Amino acid sequence: MSNSKLDILENLGLQLENASAVPKTAFAVDDDSAMPAELRNWLVRLRLLDDVPFAYLVADSELLPPESIRWFYLDRRWTDALVQGALSVGTINSDDRIQLNAQYEAIRAELDVEERNLRKHPDDQRHSGKAGPISGFLLRSSAVSGWPGLHVRAFDVDPAEGDSARYDEDDPRRIRLLRLERLAPAVLLCLFDGIPKVVHIEEPRQGIQFGFMHEDNGNQRKATLRPRDKATFDYLAEDGSKDIDVPFRAGSSGVVDIRRLSEALAKETATGAADGLDSAEYALQLVRFPWRQVFGDVDNDEIGQVFRPTIKYIDMVTGVFKP
Amino acid sequence: MAVGKGKFQLYTRIDPPLSAGEWRLRASQNLEAQAQTGELTAEQLKIDEAEIHFRVKSPRYQLPPDQLLSTFPPANSFGNYGSRLPQAVIKRRTLPWERAMDGAPEGTPWLALVVIAEGEARLETGVDIADCVTPGVTLSGVADVEKGNCLVVRKSLIDKVFPTQNDLPLLAHAREVDISDTELMMGDDDGFLAVVIANRLPLPAKDDDGNEVPVKYLACLINLENQFDALLERSPDPEPLFFTQFVTRKTTFVKATADYDHINMGTAGAFRRGEAIARGPAPRAEANSKGSSSYSVASGVAASKAATSASAKSQWSTASLDASSSIDLQLDMARDFNIAEAAVGNLLDPEYRFPVLVHWRFTSTESTTFRSLMENLDSGLLGDVGEKPAQTAGRMPLEVVETGHVGLEHKTREGDEVRSWYRGPLLPHPTTSDDADRLPLAHSSDQLRIVVPDGREDLSLASAFEVGRLLALSRPSMVAALLRWRQQHYQAARLSSLVEAKREVWETILGKDFVLEDLDALGPLAGRFLVDAIVKQPETFLRAPRPRVTPGRPIPVDGSATDVLGKGLGLGADLFRGDLDSMLEKVRKAEVPKVDLVLKELGTRQIHARLDRELDIERVDLVSNALANRFVFNPVAGPVFPPIKLAPTVIAPDALDAILAAETDNEDEDQP
Repeated sequence: MSNSKLDILENLGLQLENASAVPKTAFAVDDDSAMPAELRNWLVRLRLLDDVPFAYLVADSELLPPESIRWFYLDRRWTDALVQGALSVGTINSDDRIQLNAQYEAIRAELDVEERNLRKHPDDQRHSGKAGPISGFLLRSSAVSGWPGLHVRAFDVDPAEGDSARYDEDDPRRIRLLRLERLAPAVLLCLFDGIPKVVHIEEPRQGIQFGFMHEDNGNQRKATLRPRDKATFDYLAEDGSKDIDVPFRAGSSGVVDIRRLSEALAKETATGAADGLDSAEYALQLVRFPWRQVFGDVDNDEIGQVFRPTIKYIDMVTGVFKP
Repeated sequence: MAVGKGKFQLYTRIDPPLSAGEWRLRASQNLEAQAQTGELTAEQLKIDEAEIHFRVKSPRYQLPPDQLLSTFPPANSFGNYGSRLPQAVIKRRTLPWERAMDGAPEGTPWLALVVIAEGEARLETGVDIADCVTPGVTLSGVADVEKGNCLVVRKSLIDKVFPTQNDLPLLAHAREVDISDTELMMGDDDGFLAVVIANRLPLPAKDDDGNEVPVKYLACLINLENQFDALLERSPDPEPLFFTQFVTRKTTFVKATADYDHINMGTAGAFRRGEAIARGPAPRAEANSKGSSSYSVASGVAASKAATSASAKSQWSTASLDASSSIDLQLDMARDFNIAEAAVGNLLDPEYRFPVLVHWRFTSTESTTFRSLMENLDSGLLGDVGEKPAQTAGRMPLEVVETGHVGLEHKTREGDEVRSWYRGPLLPHPTTSDDADRLPLAHSSDQLRIVVPDGREDLSLASAFEVGRLLALSRPSMVAALLRWRQQHYQAARLSSLVEAKREVWETILGKDFVLEDLDALGPLAGRFLVDAIVKQPETFLRAPRPRVTPGRPIPVDGSATDVLGKGLGLGADLFRGDLDSMLEKVRKAEVPKVDLVLKELGTRQIHARLDRELDIERVDLVSNALANRFVFNPVAGPVFPPIKLAPTVIAPDALDAILAAETDNEDEDQP
């Protein structure tokens, strides 16, 4: 009988190898797939560099000086190594390693898909397909600490509407954000699912802001309000020909004379102020959109100018780094 | 009806079903019924009137922190807010319209957001709520807090800065946002918000040379209840200006510090008057020059006396008194706003107090805007150090190459100090994403150490492996999940290995082409085999069945009945002879034999028991020496022998035995 036991043990490796899993494509958050659900949910976040100490992301502070934005591509080999390290925990004998070898392909394929579904809106379709390149940026600026909740938007083509147009959340040209997180009070990390051509960074909406356009003249500030159509929210005159000078209360700094402002608005019937301005109409006139910074505009291809490789890197990689 | 994604809807106001305060609910019922005897009236079916008193609660002196969703500008922030109106967003959508104000048209919000520049008014914190309102004004009803904050302002400032009675309804509106839009929702539950806007642009200041000076502003959400009349009815008649002055630094700072000095030092500031007149710009300069007249000197002296003699907070006859005595109580938020603007007499320019529900501070500057920050960003790829890398004194220059690798100090396991290459996951060049480029599975970090042509090691991937390993180890739940996962796979592999190794056996039992799941049928099958065997050979498994009737035990009777009886009772047999009377007579007289049995036997029994014990011990010793550890240790009775196994029952071989025997034969053939 001892012989047959030996047989079983020798067979074990072969059996572990044959039991390689097939990556699943559809499962609920708590379902086990090629790996247990809790492991999968953690590894997906690990793949997007969650919890990785910052010194391992940026090895030297000189690489990310204050008031700078640094663009990058994500190294899949590095994140693969990260996941492999996590999976290596508890591998004691060769059987464990055979098992890991057999399961690894499926794990990687699943993680490739899952990392895109991490920030999915609950109503949206699940994303699938092969893993593409991931890129992103690190922003170190007092804008990050002073304006919490920055809005980042990336496009894979230069949108024809121009830099100040409005874009829907599900615009097909938009590139998904895989991660947008403040790593430190003044450091923002953003990962894109793809390589964007144009990136917009917007002032946080913080609710919506209300205000005017202003113009300074020595010690005086002049403010103007461009009236909007009550029904369509469009400006009555884009060229500013119908702009209203904002009246200020005499003798105090910055206090708006709302009564006279509403009288001025009432002259434009489309504003809805003619029959008496109410607070919703007043707020509508005052809504101001946040500032939007556009990076990588095709007209001004910054990324291409900034980085000038001096050796042919691909050759070096194939010659040196490939095992 | 939900608003669309990324959209919002504005409402002029949302009226509460009931305004805040004490309410009485009176319920009465009128019943009528048709009975056989006639109609029953409501009088006959009287039901008592029910009265319920209840209170609609609403924040009045202090807004609970969870009710304030956001403020603009953000609290304690710096920035160019000079063309944006400050606002407060409140979760409770009806809050601004929950209280009615005397003398105000219906629908007028009782809240106003006022923006005060540094030095214009003062904020007192931790004040009894009775002192939170102007003396003479009372707010009936129950207060929500014991102590509140209040804003103390002069009438002249109210006229200048506060919204007018006409403005108030325009400055509060409600907003409905998409619930799934986290940016607009920001943690609200129903998507309805109330917004209160200020009427003042927080302009930065300029000094004489036209350079910008940051100005601190305090935004206060104040309660106007019963003080609606304090506001101007409509904006003042002088024609409005279509430009506005920047706050001038002198009117705030010089005045404030000078006041302080007078209180502390009790000296006059005669020189200051001239300065204020000389430097102060047009509209505000008048007020300031008045304030720095001899009046302020007198009040300063009076204040220092009053502050030392009594800490009576109600004795706030002059502004500077409170400034000095309550300074310790001021929260940080209120700093710089605790000094009154000018010590003008109360009669000329009375002070008003307003409860402050929420206040926050921010600084308005000219230059630093989001736009200027973003436009001046140094944009580049990671690893780009610019044309002229900034040199830090006392540091080696950063060693970075085009590939993004950084040279770092590395202490090897042997203790050598070397420099190695490291590159994080963020690369300055595109990566290919085809599968061939992916990293094959490594089982230890040393597998990922690479030596590059310059002879130095590249530790990037090895570090990544270690980081991943340590992060997993730092999460016990992940370690447990991994081990559980491996165990499952191991068990599955062992089972299939077992099946593969003995395939023929299982095929005999389960049939050809069985799958792993068929093994579940083994249990029922074994059960059926056993039952089958028992039925066929019951005497082997269960022994022969018990006979239906068993004979009784025979009682031995020797001799005559009287002999037996006499012997059994220990009496002579002749006792029971003769007729019944004489026999009874004899029995009555007979002496019952008493044998000293107990005592006699006791002695021998003790000896017996003792000898038995001795023998037992000897026996256990002897056997334990011989068998060593084969007996069972009983913690109570000491070592005892294991139960003796009966000789095995010989069982006739059945079908399973035949299969097993055949299997053993096969195995023997397999193994030479």
